[in-house]
Amino acid sequence: MIEVLVVAVFVAAYVLIATERIHRVAAALSGAAAMVLLGVVDARVAFFSEKTGVDWNVIFLLLGMMVIVSVLKQTGVFEYVAIWAAKRTRGRPFATMVMLVVITAVASALLDNVTTVLLIAPVTLLVCDRLSLPPVPFLIAEALASNIGGTATLIGDPPNIIIASRAGLTFNDFAANLAPIVIVLIVVFIGLCRVLFRSAFTYDPERVAALMALDEREVIKDRPLLLRSAIVLVAVMIGFVAHSALHIEPSMVALLGAGALVALSRLDPPEFLEEVEWPTLVFFMGLFIMVGALVEVGVIGRLGGLLTAAVGDRYLLASSVLLGGSALLSGIVDNIPYVATMTPLVQTMVDAGHATALWWALALGADLGGNATAVGASANVVVIGIAARAGHPITFWQFTKYGSVVAAVTIAVRRLYLFLRYYAFG
Amino acid sequence: MTARNLAQPFPVVTPDTDAMDAAQAMAGRHWPGLIVCNDDGRPYTILPGSEVLRFLIPTYVQDDPVLARALGEEASDELCRKLVHRTVRDLLAKPQDLDDLPVVDADATSLEVAAVMAHMHSPLVAVVDEHDGNRVIGAITVNRLLDHLLPPHPAQA
Repeated sequence: MIEVLVVAVFVAAYVLIATERIHRVAAALSGAAAMVLLGVVDARVAFFSEKTGVDWNVIFLLLGMMVIVSVLKQTGVFEYVAIWAAKRTRGRPFATMVMLVVITAVASALLDNVTTVLLIAPVTLLVCDRLSLPPVPFLIAEALASNIGGTATLIGDPPNIIIASRAGLTFNDFAANLAPIVIVLIVVFIGLCRVLFRSAFTYDPERVAALMALDEREVIKDRPLLLRSAIVLVAVMIGFVAHSALHIEPSMVALLGAGALVALSRLDPPEFLEEVEWPTLVFFMGLFIMVGALVEVGVIGRLGGLLTAAVGDRYLLASSVLLGGSALLSGIVDNIPYVATMTPLVQTMVDAGHATALWWALALGADLGGNATAVGASANVVVIGIAARAGHPITFWQFTKYGSVVAAVTIAVRRLYLFLRYYAFG
Repeated sequence: MTARNLAQPFPVVTPDTDAMDAAQAMAGRHWPGLIVCNDDGRPYTILPGSEVLRFLIPTYVQDDPVLARALGEEASDELCRKLVHRTVRDLLAKPQDLDDLPVVDADATSLEVAAVMAHMHSPLVAVVDEHDGNRVIGAITVNRLLDHLLPPHPAQA
């Protein structure tokens, strides 16, 4: 009976999150509270259980990275790089889009996707304004590129952080397994941009002077802070790469980096906490407690057993279904609750002997599925909002028209990659 | 002192007034804003100077003010050209109801005027005569109101 009640609460909370009838934080916290009232979760389970409680490694890794981004944002380095890169193209529209797409993808691999598009979109509008180019294709391309680039690393997208923590995968595991396919996907994506947005690439030589007149050096607000931030960021990246050898969790690396930047920058708390999304952190906590309750009552274990039996030794089929299903669902609902729910299920299947390729299928599907629709990823929603405020509205279908093509092509490439790397030659 | 006593004659514009003319009048005479009236002479809204700036400055610069440094001073001429062939209607954020306007009746006290100004974040309040079909009889600027409310400076006393 208790299992039925726990599942009912979980499904109800999930429906509320997916339909956004109430704020997702309220839905997750209500679901978590219901699990406590049902007697499935207590303080020990919620706060101290590694398997069924709040995953503090995820929470503090996100917090640390948000503080690092808050400090980096104060330096103006993102604006500098974007303007510098656009000027290198001498105003050629397609080359400008390629530069902005690559910058967005690389930045998204190191920072969260929403922050990246929030930083790159205003510069894009400026560049397009100078060149008299329509900004909508550029903004859509950047949203899609941020979702692709964020897939490359452990810290690039919240679902990856959840998967890494729950599966015990390292930063280098992600870099070795996902970064190569992301590089391929970016190349494929740039080719798609050339075709999908071809009408936007009208070159006006007379506008080039307006672009070249921009002075990117002026946007660096605090050079000493930029230098200190760069040193700390490099140290943090080294820490991520070496975290398994150093026996230090990625969350600790991020927190140490954040602490160092706070100490060196001498910024005030409102400034170094500016990018910390407290609602997102609380949302994660509520989700972990809800999913932990499913594990506690044995629902996940039984479901995992059923799936493992159904799949048998058809590992490629399992990976393909997980990849396609994750991509489809992530295009419709938030990929964070989806991955939080799926990780214990996938863990059960991996424990039963399935290849770790299932983790990469989950990450690739969930991270990149968001490209399919205008509401599939937070970065898409943010870009649409910025475009509307700037007087360049992007409709749901306008975005989805491009996003669905990109999602379909990249799913095919990902499936081929999974097959070749983990089954044909694995 | 009532709003009628505090009110000063104030020029009004209509939504169809040329935007450049309106902005230049505001700048040239140091007005904090303009009263925008309908054709029947009743107040339609207030156009504060900040709304003109919001129209001139691209939203991407408002979102990320550091980009203004990359543009440099020479870009200001280009930005101001956005007013050419535009009307006051283009500068207005959105149509407002009379209740939402920084408008007071001629019998309002100076503190009522101050309360409306503070609540609406407006540097200008239009004064209307309710007994005369809400016709605008003048306006009160924040300078005029503070001048009335504050005690005289010791040097002037």
